[in-house]
Amino acid sequence: MQIKPRQQLLDIWRATARVSYRDGWVPGGLGGSNSISDAEQLLCIMAPATEIPLFRLDQPDTVTDDVLEALRPLGDNLQIPQRLLRALYDYLHRYTAADKITPIFSGGTYFSPEQGGDKVEQEQLDMDVVDSFSISVTLTLAIIGFTKVFRQVVTRAALLRQVEEVEQMANRRLTAAMAGLLRSFTVNVFTADSPFGQELVRTVNQERRATHVVVDELRLALREINARLRDDVTIGSGASEGSELDNPNRLFECGWSWGVVRDAPKIETSAEVGEQRDGVAQNAPYLYFTTVALDAIQALSSERTRLLGLLDPEQARLAQSLQLRFELTRSYWTTIATFGSGRWPLEDLPWRATDGIEFDYFSLLISGMVMQSMLAVRATNANLRRVADVLEELANRSRITRRSTEPETAVGVHFPGLHFPLEGSDALGGPGLQWTVADISPTLFKRTLNLASMTTDGPTRSRMLELSDSIWQHLSIRVIRHGDDHGLWDWAAGAYAYLPNGGSQVSWYYTKRVVDCLVNAANVINEPPLRSELLLQIAADLLNEADHLYDRELLSGIAIRGEALRVDLERVGAELKRARAVYRERPGVAVAVAEEVLRKLDRLAAARRADIG
Amino acid sequence: MIIFATSDKGGTGRSVTSSNLVYRQALQGKDACYLDFDFGSPTAGAIFDLSDVQAGSDGDGLHSYLAGAIPEPRRINVWAETQRESLRNRPAGVGRLTLVPSDRGRGEFPSTPGIVQRCVELLVRADEEYDVVLVDLSAGRSYATEIVLEATARPELADVEARWVVFHRWTRQHIVAAGSLVHGARGILDIGTAHGHKRAELAEKVRFVRTAVLDPAASDQAALRPEQLVWLDVCNMRLKDLAVTNKVGQVKLLGIIPLDPVLQWQEQLLTNDDVWLHRTANERTVNAFEDLAKKIVDVDAWEGL
Ligand SMILES: Nc1ncnc2c1ncn2[C@@H]1O[C@H](COP(=O)(O)OP(=O)(O)OP(=O)(O)O)[C@@H](O)[C@H]1O
Ligand SMILES: [Mg+2]
Repeated sequence: MQIKPRQQLLDIWRATARVSYRDGWVPGGLGGSNSISDAEQLLCIMAPATEIPLFRLDQPDTVTDDVLEALRPLGDNLQIPQRLLRALYDYLHRYTAADKITPIFSGGTYFSPEQGGDKVEQEQLDMDVVDSFSISVTLTLAIIGFTKVFRQVVTRAALLRQVEEVEQMANRRLTAAMAGLLRSFTVNVFTADSPFGQELVRTVNQERRATHVVVDELRLALREINARLRDDVTIGSGASEGSELDNPNRLFECGWSWGVVRDAPKIETSAEVGEQRDGVAQNAPYLYFTTVALDAIQALSSERTRLLGLLDPEQARLAQSLQLRFELTRSYWTTIATFGSGRWPLEDLPWRATDGIEFDYFSLLISGMVMQSMLAVRATNANLRRVADVLEELANRSRITRRSTEPETAVGVHFPGLHFPLEGSDALGGPGLQWTVADISPTLFKRTLNLASMTTDGPTRSRMLELSDSIWQHLSIRVIRHGDDHGLWDWAAGAYAYLPNGGSQVSWYYTKRVVDCLVNAANVINEPPLRSELLLQIAADLLNEADHLYDRELLSGIAIRGEALRVDLERVGAELKRARAVYRERPGVAVAVAEEVLRKLDRLAAARRADIG
Repeated sequence: MIIFATSDKGGTGRSVTSSNLVYRQALQGKDACYLDFDFGSPTAGAIFDLSDVQAGSDGDGLHSYLAGAIPEPRRINVWAETQRESLRNRPAGVGRLTLVPSDRGRGEFPSTPGIVQRCVELLVRADEEYDVVLVDLSAGRSYATEIVLEATARPELADVEARWVVFHRWTRQHIVAAGSLVHGARGILDIGTAHGHKRAELAEKVRFVRTAVLDPAASDQAALRPEQLVWLDVCNMRLKDLAVTNKVGQVKLLGIIPLDPVLQWQEQLLTNDDVWLHRTANERTVNAFEDLAKKIVDVDAWEGL
């Protein structure tokens, strides 16, 4: 891999610390300060510190020197955790309502009017959004993990109080974010002949068969999901639609809307989550927010969360409800995306959503969900290869691996990004709002790398690693080169020379996603290498031959004929021993060592023949 | 501020590092004073290159003063009396640099109320007159250490900032010994508590300095083979873990002094000339002294977690 996670993460830390810390943590960046961007900025430091052992900051005793050097603007090993704690405290405080309890999950400056120039109302900017619920889950899990470990070395009473306060606020925010996710889950039920239904049928019907046959088969394929939605989804939004599902000719889709769904019931909870505000969001899933929510829920059930016991009982209960929706959503979209016996709907680019909007980017989001399902059911290499083909095609079509020298619409996905309308966002007055996403490259990188580590098929793995290298190449030329924010992202003109050259201000949205890529890469590198059966066989055979020849040399007694020879043969013996020890885990290494041993032994044999001749 | 310098074992580099620290502090404009409490082997005279007190003073040093033989110990103005040419050109704006030597050929002696009283008076006066007072105790558990622990527990010294710095080498045995010197049986905390210090408060005033540390990452280690570097890295990691279990980890670390070729051969002060003109000493070493000199008197740097 060309990507060097440790060095590159340290470079990002260095730049993040330099840009963010000036006598205190300064939120901001491109797109302004809001509950999402500020969390993304903090996660640029907190995510690696949480996910990669070498980057931990919660144990000041074991922080490594290169990490300390990179975070120098934040102080020394004792100051770093304290100042981070302060920054986290400020964040939690900033996004708490005036009642000092209710956490705020507003989209703020990430919202923009559908028609440029329209004035967005303050009430609109204050609307909660799923992106904020999700990133809050990630951030608060990181915080709670951090404080749980850090408090063990703290002895000063004032500092201990601060640690406890941050932990308490983070816990409240976490619970509230989970409640928010439960209130933005949606099941959109429609008849097969409604516009939604027609779009869905068109998507799944790749073989162009009779509509009623396809509808029946689809209902059959979704029967189990359908039943669990009806019987098990009982709290939050999406619960009331269950009964409708059984009516004939009904189809549905499920996932997450962009915010709390209109008329979503409140979550009954014993925990203090503050006010649960009424929702306005359309009761239909958005692929982007669905993916974002799934990522957050995955973090809730991760091994780390379980091992460290990060959730309290009430949170664990809510997490279980979310986990159920996670599984249903994942299965639903996988069923749709791989429906039929011919070409998968997923393979028919671009993906067309039921509201008629189509983007290659959506195909990427769906691929992610399909891969998550495949991970759960241990999919065959053949199926993984089909997804790999899709990813390669996406990289190509979005001009990541294919050059783009002239202005073209395909590049819009990178800059200025895709916009999609947020239905219902005008309910409080003001214009309709839209959401912007521009993260196709980092998302594609993550999926590519995930797929590489999922498959056991050598060629597919190589292809995916090569692809991830190319995407990384693309990402690395988009780093900001000049100005105060150099070393951070995003400067799209680096990849597409004809784009406006401005925009040298850091986007925490983008930088955080690049950080995720690197964390992902670090995890993949830490996995043991894929073992090749072929290499294993060769190594075993080579070792047998080398062993045999070595034993013969020993038997010949030349070892006792001179100091130099004896030392030489002992060294050969040691090398063979080493090769034997590693050959199961690293057959390639064993082959290399055995070959060298064989060459050495052969020199002796050849010399002996020269003597006779 | 008074800094008590001690070490887990003999020969760790306590005296050389301490001397360089007070020298750096004087260069940084502070009035600095070095009290040689290492009665068994007073070496400060040699390090400062003072010809007539190479191995201690003659009857007018600290030992005689504490024993009650003289009313005042001798004070030496290092800038004026050193034999070293490059030290004698005292730059403008620097602080005083004073050595209070011990006596030649004496040994350790147990504490008595009279000794402790004289020690208190000495420290109170020194603290008034100087910005930084560094007391070079001897290695390990010593009478000198016990005397100053007793003295600092007295009300006369209650308002004086007193700090403890334990110098140790970066090896397994030294790490264990350094931890034991502070936390072990009859260690600094035990003895201090016995004389009326509050254990937790005293513990907050103790920090560690690692001396003569070989940094595998430094460029001048280029001569090492890759295998040696890898091994050193593993070793270093293990030592870090060991340090944490012995409570001498980074949380209580004040500084690291790299292994220096000049100091390895000769006990001396490293001047800027040694780095820039003669190019014999490493710049990294001097930087480490410089940083430590700043940090050691910075109250914020002593703020624990
Ligand atoms: N950073 C360093 N690099 C290399 N050698 C050093 C370093 N610091 C000290 N030394 C050397 O280590 C030896 C011991 O140093 P020093 O006399 O200061 O130790 P000490 O702890 O005061 O010993 P004692 O307990 O005998 O008084 C000396 O030869 C000194 O020059
Ligand atoms: Mg000494």
